[in-house]
Amino acid sequence: MKIGAIAGITFKEAKRDRILYLLFFFGAASIVFSRVLAILTVGDRVKIIKDVGLASINIFGVLMAVLIGTSLVYKEIDKKTIFTLLAKPLHRAQFILGKFLGLVLILFVMTAAMSAIFLAVVYLHVFMIDWKLLVAITYIFIELVLITAVAVLFSTFSTPILSSIFSLAFYLIGHLSWSMELLIQKARSPLTRGFLRFLYLALPDLENFNFKTEAVHGLAIPSSIYAWSVLYGICYTAFLLGLAVLIFRRRDFV
Amino acid sequence: MGKKAAFEHRETVFIVVLILVAAVFFSALKAKTDTIIREKAPGASIIYVPSGKFLRFAAFGYSNLAADLIYLWSIQYFSTPSIDDRFDHLDQIYSIIGELDPLYGDPFEVGALIAIYDARNPGLALKILDIGAEKNPANWILPFNAGHIAMMNMKDFELAEKYFAKCMQIPGSPEFVPRLRANALFRKGDVKTAWDTWLDIYNTAQDERTRKIASNHLYNIKQTLDIERLKEVLIKYRGKYGFWPKSLDLLAGTGLIGEIPKDLDGRDYVYDPETGEVKAPILPWKR
Repeated sequence: MKIGAIAGITFKEAKRDRILYLLFFFGAASIVFSRVLAILTVGDRVKIIKDVGLASINIFGVLMAVLIGTSLVYKEIDKKTIFTLLAKPLHRAQFILGKFLGLVLILFVMTAAMSAIFLAVVYLHVFMIDWKLLVAITYIFIELVLITAVAVLFSTFSTPILSSIFSLAFYLIGHLSWSMELLIQKARSPLTRGFLRFLYLALPDLENFNFKTEAVHGLAIPSSIYAWSVLYGICYTAFLLGLAVLIFRRRDFV
Repeated sequence: MGKKAAFEHRETVFIVVLILVAAVFFSALKAKTDTIIREKAPGASIIYVPSGKFLRFAAFGYSNLAADLIYLWSIQYFSTPSIDDRFDHLDQIYSIIGELDPLYGDPFEVGALIAIYDARNPGLALKILDIGAEKNPANWILPFNAGHIAMMNMKDFELAEKYFAKCMQIPGSPEFVPRLRANALFRKGDVKTAWDTWLDIYNTAQDERTRKIASNHLYNIKQTLDIERLKEVLIKYRGKYGFWPKSLDLLAGTGLIGEIPKDLDGRDYVYDPETGEVKAPILPWKR
């Protein structure tokens, strides 16, 4: 109940954030622009539309999650409203979860809106919608939820600028962890290989939520990956939120 | 107050005039610098394009998008005639796209077309198609195009036969590819295999048109072999008697040939005793 109330307020607060609309505008514009870009190609035009559209939803979604998520908790501390909130019978975990869910809700609305524009552009081009595009969008959203948890985590102990840098670094590492395998192959010492192997497994692998290639090229997606990717996303998000709550509980606002 | 307003107005006018004058001045300056021809390093325009392997890392999960953007840029780049050395790294550009999005077939097809028709370099076209085929083993169009280039542009029938044979193995390849291979076999001089291949096509044809095409090619192979054999015998006859025989039938009794061959339809070959020329009674394609 309390979490719901905080989430509702966070949703309303984020809804008024101008940066959200700015990012949405650029996201929507680049999706629409993909149709113009497709005219420049020789060959399969719809591939360009799908690539640019999915990438736009992902990129602008991540920017929304990071730029809004990193300032959510900080704003409460900066404006001293946190004192009023925490003076009430509200657990800090409820506060963090409420903030997180409010932002997830706004991201859901934004992703749905951008996806609607994207699917409309694709439909106008080929007069059909491939269900794999919906799979790709769903997993982009799961990735955004995870990134939101990262942003919330950093915002519990850092400034918005640093939190944004950390969150974006997390995002980039998440899409580069596969390259650790190449490093493992090059490493000579078994100890180094073991350490790199541990890093490879422990670091977030956001490629688990990247089904863009499969959606665009119509490749088969192994059915088991759906459930495992969702489980991976939920576990990682829960872990990050747990960590955020633990850190936030230790903070002294006096 | 009035003085201040007038001053601000004059200042605004001054700023606008300053911007306009500066725009004209810098335009003239830029136009002047553009007229100076500077020496360029070979391949300078794309010398700093990073490798595909690096770009895969740098794309951070957006390698498909990066491939699209490089492809779109490459279309504009290779169609800019003012860049003299634009074809020098053609294969490199398309191998980068292949590295970023291996399943993207269009760039390899277009790259090969640019190599053939703009760069006039069939070898380069084959190189690009080979990269594409390696990345897309299930794409029959790439070896098909390579076979076509080898056959039509390079006249390398042995190479064409290899590409068509590769194309045939890929599920979904068109039914006419075995015919192209058979034709390449014949043109490279492997008449025996060509005959067997056409015969197989004839026997397994699902429609009358294919059977007719195969039959015409079988006719062509047979008439080529027969005419070649007859010419050899005629030359020997002339060497022995000093003149061309009056008819082909006269060759039979000389011991130079056992039986006078007839065409696939059982007709006699047309012989000119004046010149010693032998030809088929009809063009294979007009049977």
